[in-house]
Amino acid sequence: MAMPSPPRQETMAPHERMGAIMMGQKPDRVPFSPFIFGFCAKNVGLPVSTVYEDAEKSFFAQLRTAEMYGYDGAPLYGYASYGGWEFGGDIKMPRSRWEQAPVVAHYPVESEEDVDRLELPDVERAGSLPISMTFSRLQEKFGMPITVQLVGVVTLVGELCSVDRMCRWMIKRPELVHKLMRKAVDHLVDVAKLWVDTFPVERMQPFVGDATSANQVISPKQFEEFALPYQKEVHEKVLDMGVMSMFNHICGEQNLNLPFWRQIPHGRDGVPGILSFGHEVDLTTAIEMFGEDNIIAGNVEPRLIQNGTPEEVFAACVACLEKGKQAPNYRYMLMAGCEVPVEAPPYNLFTMRKAVMEHGFYD
Amino acid sequence: MSALQERQELLHHIRDAVVDYDEEVTVELCSNAIQVGLDAYDVVANGLALGMEEVGQLYEQKEYFVPEVLMCSDAFYAGLQHLKPHIRSDAATGSGQVIIGTVEGDVHDIGKNLVKLMLEAAGFVVHDLGKDVPLDKFVQEQQRTGADIIALSALMTTSMLAIPVVIEKMRAVNPNVKILIGGAPVSQESVDLYGADGYAETAARAVDEARRLLDLPYQE
Amino acid sequence: MHTGNTPTVADRLVRLIHGEAPERVPFVPFILGFCAKDAGYPVSVTYEDAEKSFYTQLHTAEKYGFDGTPLYFYASYGAWEFGGEVKMPQSQWEQATMITQHPAESPEAVEALELPPVGATGSVPLALAFSRYQAEHQLPVIGAPQVGVFTAAGNISGVSKLARWLIKQPETAHTLLRKATDHLVDTVGLWVEHFDPAQVLPFIGEPTASNQIISPQQFETFVLPYQRELHEKILDMGINSIVCHICGDQTANLPHWQQIPFSRDGFPGLLSFDHRVDLQQAIDLFGADNIITGNVEPRMIQDGSPDEVYHLCVEKITIGKTAPRGYVLMSGCEVPVQAPPDNIRAMVQAIEDHGYYR
Repeated sequence: MAMPSPPRQETMAPHERMGAIMMGQKPDRVPFSPFIFGFCAKNVGLPVSTVYEDAEKSFFAQLRTAEMYGYDGAPLYGYASYGGWEFGGDIKMPRSRWEQAPVVAHYPVESEEDVDRLELPDVERAGSLPISMTFSRLQEKFGMPITVQLVGVVTLVGELCSVDRMCRWMIKRPELVHKLMRKAVDHLVDVAKLWVDTFPVERMQPFVGDATSANQVISPKQFEEFALPYQKEVHEKVLDMGVMSMFNHICGEQNLNLPFWRQIPHGRDGVPGILSFGHEVDLTTAIEMFGEDNIIAGNVEPRLIQNGTPEEVFAACVACLEKGKQAPNYRYMLMAGCEVPVEAPPYNLFTMRKAVMEHGFYD
Repeated sequence: MSALQERQELLHHIRDAVVDYDEEVTVELCSNAIQVGLDAYDVVANGLALGMEEVGQLYEQKEYFVPEVLMCSDAFYAGLQHLKPHIRSDAATGSGQVIIGTVEGDVHDIGKNLVKLMLEAAGFVVHDLGKDVPLDKFVQEQQRTGADIIALSALMTTSMLAIPVVIEKMRAVNPNVKILIGGAPVSQESVDLYGADGYAETAARAVDEARRLLDLPYQE
Repeated sequence: MHTGNTPTVADRLVRLIHGEAPERVPFVPFILGFCAKDAGYPVSVTYEDAEKSFYTQLHTAEKYGFDGTPLYFYASYGAWEFGGEVKMPQSQWEQATMITQHPAESPEAVEALELPPVGATGSVPLALAFSRYQAEHQLPVIGAPQVGVFTAAGNISGVSKLARWLIKQPETAHTLLRKATDHLVDTVGLWVEHFDPAQVLPFIGEPTASNQIISPQQFETFVLPYQRELHEKILDMGINSIVCHICGDQTANLPHWQQIPFSRDGFPGLLSFDHRVDLQQAIDLFGADNIITGNVEPRMIQDGSPDEVYHLCVEKITIGKTAPRGYVLMSGCEVPVQAPPDNIRAMVQAIEDHGYYR
């Protein structure tokens, strides 16, 4: 991709740049990892569903798009409705041009009785996990972080029994939610274990996306009761396996949950986790609360990337960069606040890269 | 001259009149044929239609171009118009039914009209949906008519992308319907890429391809 | 033509036109609606909004590193301008403006057809506004007449009608072609009035005269005299070079095109060929006096893998580099709106890897 007379010359390769901020060292510029999936499939002329159904195509579509736009984020496999398919339900892949990602078509838990009957799936075979495994093998082969998806517990339970059932049960039948949380944790730990057994643990950086725990859905009190203990347990157990750092996308409006997220470990032995935030959370607040121990990533509003003019996108990126560059030890990377929309104008992604090239360099 | 010889000679002239795109002579000869008692369907199948087959070959050989082919088609239709009232209802050949149209987003229909004509000349019953046809309409029309083949035309690379969409929609409802595709940017490779059943580079070949898809014998 | 010191996206192309040997083959993809989509606009802005059309093209060129250069063009030119109707592309399957009503579908209508007031009808005001942006940005003013005489005539009457008249009523065809030619000449005159003729590069796309539609004999009778007249009159206005996209399979017409001038005073014309014309043959026939551009198959840019597109481009570049007056890598016709962006990058990559002259 052409960069008309860049103001500054890049002196690091993407992996060096990411490596630098992991070590708290100064990179040439702020790393740029857009958080982008279906867009990449479209960019190389494949249906969006490929990103979720075909590990190899997904990997190379993401890789080629990263090369094309010159960003630093490495390919990642994951989808926010993880759980339904893996526990025996059905999933519907995105087909029409209006669909962005898979959705659960039939939940494995549809009644109170189903809760007890629900069995932990075989992690070598269930749902998307074989695809995820193939994807991770490619990450290993290409020397990239191995990012198995361990979706957030609230999100996972919501995909097991549907979000509205989970919400009702939080009030009426809390014990059912706790039972499902238990199973969710055990499953996620099983998955992590399979990966740790398969890949060099120091290369791993599990990816936790948690959308359903947002305060648009549950209250901070409910987060404290139903999410915190279980989410913490997952992180502790995974870190105990020897994993050094986790990548956590704290999706949506989570301002009131932030104090709880602080109680959850994301890295260990001085290695930072990566915490990515939606545009609803102020970056400066995020840096103040989490920036000592973690890399902060975010948080350009996806709606703006889709509907905004290049000038608006540019301005939003510059605003993020100005805040982000204040993070201690250079621990910031520019990212969208959630997945870059499939229908986003490609030129707006290019504009994000332009903003990084013009305003992302460290003096 | 025997009746047989007379028939053969007349049909031969009709064929030539179509090839020579002589509309007036074509109609006059068709009128003669009816007067001397020839079967109207016989005149269509072994006179007019054979003429169009030859026209198709001339186009392929780059002897004829679109202007000539259009003129021939005018002669063909003029003759057909004259014969139609005389065709017995039991004379249909059962060659098969085809739905044809230029897909949504595309108004180019010269090629599509030629394919339609060649198919009609070969005895197919053709339902022409016209140009810029909404994609669902192909499926609805197939459901309504029970047609064996859907023939899709596109001249633009962009509208060509509507072809696999129609195919997917059609397969979802009835996987047995054969899909024939054509148009400038379309190729044999597109058949595999889009999951179609057949492709033809020219209107004349479209007839062979349609016959192949329905396991019908080739006609000489 | 701008030859100042500030480089523009069209710099490499402009230098080539001025006879300077470029360090590498320029890449001008022939890309319109794709650019609108890339910037998040509907494809229709390419044809109905001069400002957005211009800037989406300019930005896309900068983004991918093309050698420019924005262009206002649609192949249905003629219908709207003579009082017919067109429909802007709306659905995702539509690539360009389509004619919904032809202004003269009968011999009588052709007789009665009046030349539209110059510059006042159809897309002409838009194209003119577009050219102002080109001039403002010191880019080549690639403007009217947009199409060749036969395409304009076919758009006025409908191609099937025109095709029949070639045989049945040649005098009607000639009348129509006469009017189309006069209109196109008038329109180019408008550009010469508004811009420095030395900066103007008239663009002519001619799809309807292809041998998929008419025979080389019909070309000789009905296209050659009018098209030659158009070019001669354009060059007489002080314009140095004409850009001509010889669309479709025109192999059998090439000897006739050879009798048509594309430039004057030693400047090269720019001839762009469809993938159906052999690039080597195009160079042999036209390369001594013209820059040859082409001719990557658009369908491959849409449906092929990046590797296939890359190799196809390398093949073209290798042949093209032997062209004596220069070669420009281009798609054989407009880059499809739905082409995967990664395939455009593959084209850029091919130029970067193989486009440099040693």
